[in-house]
Amino acid sequence: MKKLTVLLLVLAVAFSAFAQGGSEATKQTTTQSPAKTETTAPAAPATYTFNQALSVFPTNWNTHTYETNTETEIGDYIQDGFYTFDYNEDETGYKVVPAIAVGEPKDVTAEYVGKYGITEGSVNQAYVITIRQDLKWDDGTPINAYDFVESQKRLLNPVAQNYRADNLYSGNMVVYNAKEYLYQGKTVELDNGANAGYTMADLHKGADGQYYSAKEEPVYIGLDFALAWTNNNTLNDYVGAYGSDYFDTTNWEALMAKADDKGLIPLTDENYALFVPVTTNNPNWGETEDDVPNYFVYAATYAPLDWSEVGYQALSDYEILICLTKPLKGFYLLYSLTSTNLVKIDLYDACESIVDGVYTNTYCTSAETTPSYGPYKLTSFQADKQFVLERNDNYYLFNDRPDLYQTTSIVTDYVPEASTRLELFLQGKLDGYGLTIDDMKTYSLSDYCYYTPGDSVFFMAFNPDPEKLATMQAAAGAGINKTILTLLEFRQAMSFALNRADFCLATSPTNEPGFGLYSDLIICDPENGTPYRSTNQAKNVLVNFWGLKDDIGDGKLYEDVDEAIESITGYNLTKAKQLYDVAYDMAIAQGLMKETDVVEIKIGTPNGTSKFYNNGYEYLVNCYTEAVKGTKFEGKLRFTRDDTLGNGFADALKNCQVDMLFGVGWTGSTLDPYNLMEAYTSSNYQYNPCWDTTKENITINIHGVDYTASVRDWNEIMMGEARTITPAKGEGIEYSCGDADNDPETRLDILAALEMAVLMTYEEIPIMGDASASLKGMQIKYYTENYIFGMGRGGIKYYTYNYTDAEWDAYCASQNYVLKYN
Amino acid sequence: MVKYVIKRVLLMLLTFFVIISGCFILIRLLPNIPAQQFGKDMSLVLQRRVRQGLVDANGNAIPLIQQYWNFITRTLLTGEWGVSESLYIGQDCMQVFLSKLPATILLNVYAMVFAVPLGLLLGIYAALKKNKWQDHVISTGVMIFVSVPSYVYAFLVQYFLCFKLKLFPLVMNSGTNYFSASMFHSMLPAVISLAFGSIAGFARFTRAELTEVLTSEYLLLARTKGLTKAQTTRRHALRNAMVVILPMIIAEFIGIIGGSLIIENIFVVPGVGPLYVNSITARDYNFFMLLSAFYTIIGLASGILLDLSYGFIDPRIRIGSKANGKY
Repeated sequence: MKKLTVLLLVLAVAFSAFAQGGSEATKQTTTQSPAKTETTAPAAPATYTFNQALSVFPTNWNTHTYETNTETEIGDYIQDGFYTFDYNEDETGYKVVPAIAVGEPKDVTAEYVGKYGITEGSVNQAYVITIRQDLKWDDGTPINAYDFVESQKRLLNPVAQNYRADNLYSGNMVVYNAKEYLYQGKTVELDNGANAGYTMADLHKGADGQYYSAKEEPVYIGLDFALAWTNNNTLNDYVGAYGSDYFDTTNWEALMAKADDKGLIPLTDENYALFVPVTTNNPNWGETEDDVPNYFVYAATYAPLDWSEVGYQALSDYEILICLTKPLKGFYLLYSLTSTNLVKIDLYDACESIVDGVYTNTYCTSAETTPSYGPYKLTSFQADKQFVLERNDNYYLFNDRPDLYQTTSIVTDYVPEASTRLELFLQGKLDGYGLTIDDMKTYSLSDYCYYTPGDSVFFMAFNPDPEKLATMQAAAGAGINKTILTLLEFRQAMSFALNRADFCLATSPTNEPGFGLYSDLIICDPENGTPYRSTNQAKNVLVNFWGLKDDIGDGKLYEDVDEAIESITGYNLTKAKQLYDVAYDMAIAQGLMKETDVVEIKIGTPNGTSKFYNNGYEYLVNCYTEAVKGTKFEGKLRFTRDDTLGNGFADALKNCQVDMLFGVGWTGSTLDPYNLMEAYTSSNYQYNPCWDTTKENITINIHGVDYTASVRDWNEIMMGEARTITPAKGEGIEYSCGDADNDPETRLDILAALEMAVLMTYEEIPIMGDASASLKGMQIKYYTENYIFGMGRGGIKYYTYNYTDAEWDAYCASQNYVLKYN
Repeated sequence: MVKYVIKRVLLMLLTFFVIISGCFILIRLLPNIPAQQFGKDMSLVLQRRVRQGLVDANGNAIPLIQQYWNFITRTLLTGEWGVSESLYIGQDCMQVFLSKLPATILLNVYAMVFAVPLGLLLGIYAALKKNKWQDHVISTGVMIFVSVPSYVYAFLVQYFLCFKLKLFPLVMNSGTNYFSASMFHSMLPAVISLAFGSIAGFARFTRAELTEVLTSEYLLLARTKGLTKAQTTRRHALRNAMVVILPMIIAEFIGIIGGSLIIENIFVVPGVGPLYVNSITARDYNFFMLLSAFYTIIGLASGILLDLSYGFIDPRIRIGSKANGKY
């Protein structure tokens, strides 16, 4: 037994001795920087390593295929743009300056009339970009204009169907024939109503009994196919919603039974005969047989296309010609050129493979397959562990501006656990740490704590569709009511009963309460960097929506609009209680609800593990249970939860799987709120498409005259499409007010009116603005204290260091590797 | 014996086929609708569904039965597991998996090397000191370590040993020089965290088995024949107790390949632990099927190995022999 005891003791002593001995080694090895070990050599130049940790690790940073922002953690350092963001002169905002390009793009539209789809009188559609002559890959290989062109060719490779191929045709910059080149040889179904507009007379019957166009395109009837002219709804949607009230549904089931998985049936005499009564027999739908071709769909095949037909060509070794389908100029042109899609052709081609007809490419998935033409190069990459970037000595800017890019290497570790990241940060092994809900109490007031605003506003979204709610109500069983959600007053009560500040504290303390559709970061005038929320139009939306309009002015509650906006909390329990009672009485009077009914709202969340959604759900349940106390809903409002929605978040609301969502919203389009409005007015994107924006009219004053049009039409007008707007008296006029119409104030008026219209539905109620908080490490110094769109606080380009790596190690050691940040 | 093994292997293949078929169908039954992205050409998003073999190049759905046939002919029969569709887009599933396997195996082997002797020693000691204070201390410790989940020790080990006492680095070192001293040192917190549960398990099991054997009549007979307590324990009690304990050790060794999702995450071990769950959440069908097949085959093979191991450990046990009263 003594031997056993001795053996155990020896093991214990050996273990602790090893651990102690090793801990010294730890301090060397876990600095994670090869550069840091070099600092012991006295003659070595000072090194500055930026250490960061990610909770999600990149796996594919190929500029043609990357899908998530995580991938840009590598891509941003190894690539460059034709143009890039930089600080403006007084460092209070941004400007876009040449990077790879030399000077501004040269407008050569007039020289290309008759080519690349450019017609006489076109402007701002063809540009020549001159690139620097000292561009090189990190291995010293020179880069010229042909490399850029070959890269675009590969981006649009029809076989690859790259995820980022739409860089060249969606959004502002639409390169001539880019989409046609990508889809060449591919057959796509197009709805006849929005495209060719064939009539029966234009079609001929084939040997198989199906009708074909003159181009031999097979024609179908779109039963469950999204039709652009119906705002991308399908006929099946309408038949499902309105049934025999609007359609003759006698043949519908028989027709649907024939539909393929795309919702199409071949246009044959038999199918045509079955289909025609559906849309023509019921006068409520009001269509005749002449309208039937609007439901046709034809399969068009994109013709083969040579690259010489695409509007992206090299004119010389250092000149690139870009021809666009629609005009683009100024900020948006430069902004569209902040990425280049450049790849190293020989390596890219070597990484291609086609297995079982499926194209794959391993370019930029490891250090070996990652070339760089940006300020840093990838020197090591271990999946789900660490990657190291070091200065690329062949980067042109190091000669021009030696004062920039003080960072010598960037070491990024994968650390999924927040607690581990915090401990590493406190030991001095990370230069930044994103604060979590749990950390806010300790660090929210730290001098090293920085808040960064986001561009998203998160909403509560309801499903107020009467028919769908009625169906769900019936399924929920007797005594359960859901149709109360159709009442505006009830939804208003839900809005006023929510204390947004408390909700933020409970779910994500870095976020701020949200009161409008757009956050403070959304910019409506990118040329000047003007935030939308700072405009008079946007301010008026807030004061009008929150009912403060009459309280502003001399001798009133608020001196000016700004003061009124400052006062908005969105929380008014008294008003909420009144609205609950009003809604209750209305529901009883309208027969929507019985006095014995209990309102049951099913809230959907993507999962059951997220703290945000768990805390949010708990908060909402408690908040509303308390809010209805003393009202007619007391004891009659309860909530259930479906936490299995995953990605199908919005679809769950549309499909009536749930009645309500929270924490939903759109990100992106920071610089284009006009385009972003599409997300709220188009059924393609709406969380709740039952609000028919083609039928909801609003009136807007245009240069002194009130004009009325549908919400959808105003949206189209704002995007530059001509639509008919009707004055109170007289004939309607065709009107457009897009970017090219050069009437920014009116365009802003329309945007604000649309924002108001969306808010007034109370179907998507703003609750919080996206923001984050992080701690900055003591080793680094930000260039600007304020967060500036496009520049952040300087980024790696401008960061400077308070300590060299060696000094920093010594400092951390002197603090016993426990740094104080609170 | 040979006949028995062949029969078991054939049954194993049948079971494997059934399980894999179930996995194939179930993963495809999960909703897999790409989230709509504002301003995005969604047909490019749908390319992933082409890679997943759900639709053809023209976007037409491929029937499930066709997908299943493709899987059998292209994957099961040829061993080509294809490329990752969403987790490591375009990269060979098998290569990614194999690149991550060493870290997991090494971590778990170290944990076993640590846990087996310590667990056995504590179990033996507790059995020998049955109902004395030493036994009570060990048994209490064992109960705590068996009851508390391993990630709790992991956070405690990380906080106290790594952050406060600075005996170890907070996370495992990067690189693939797995046999260097610094790498071993950086793995120790994870090894310790992973070993706690095993140590407790082995100690509890050993104590229970040995206690039973130590009180058996043949051991009393051995003592009356003049053997010392140490001799009877070593020569008779331990050997008999090992008949039950050794298969448990083998089972633990087989289980190590599965990795540990939480421990690997906490100490940032670039292993296979989180892969399985991630492949499901990311709907990476190829990866999921590879991992399902791998773990299924390991599980089934281990069952056979375990059964066979009884015969090797105790020659009296003969699998497949007729029940004629002889061992």
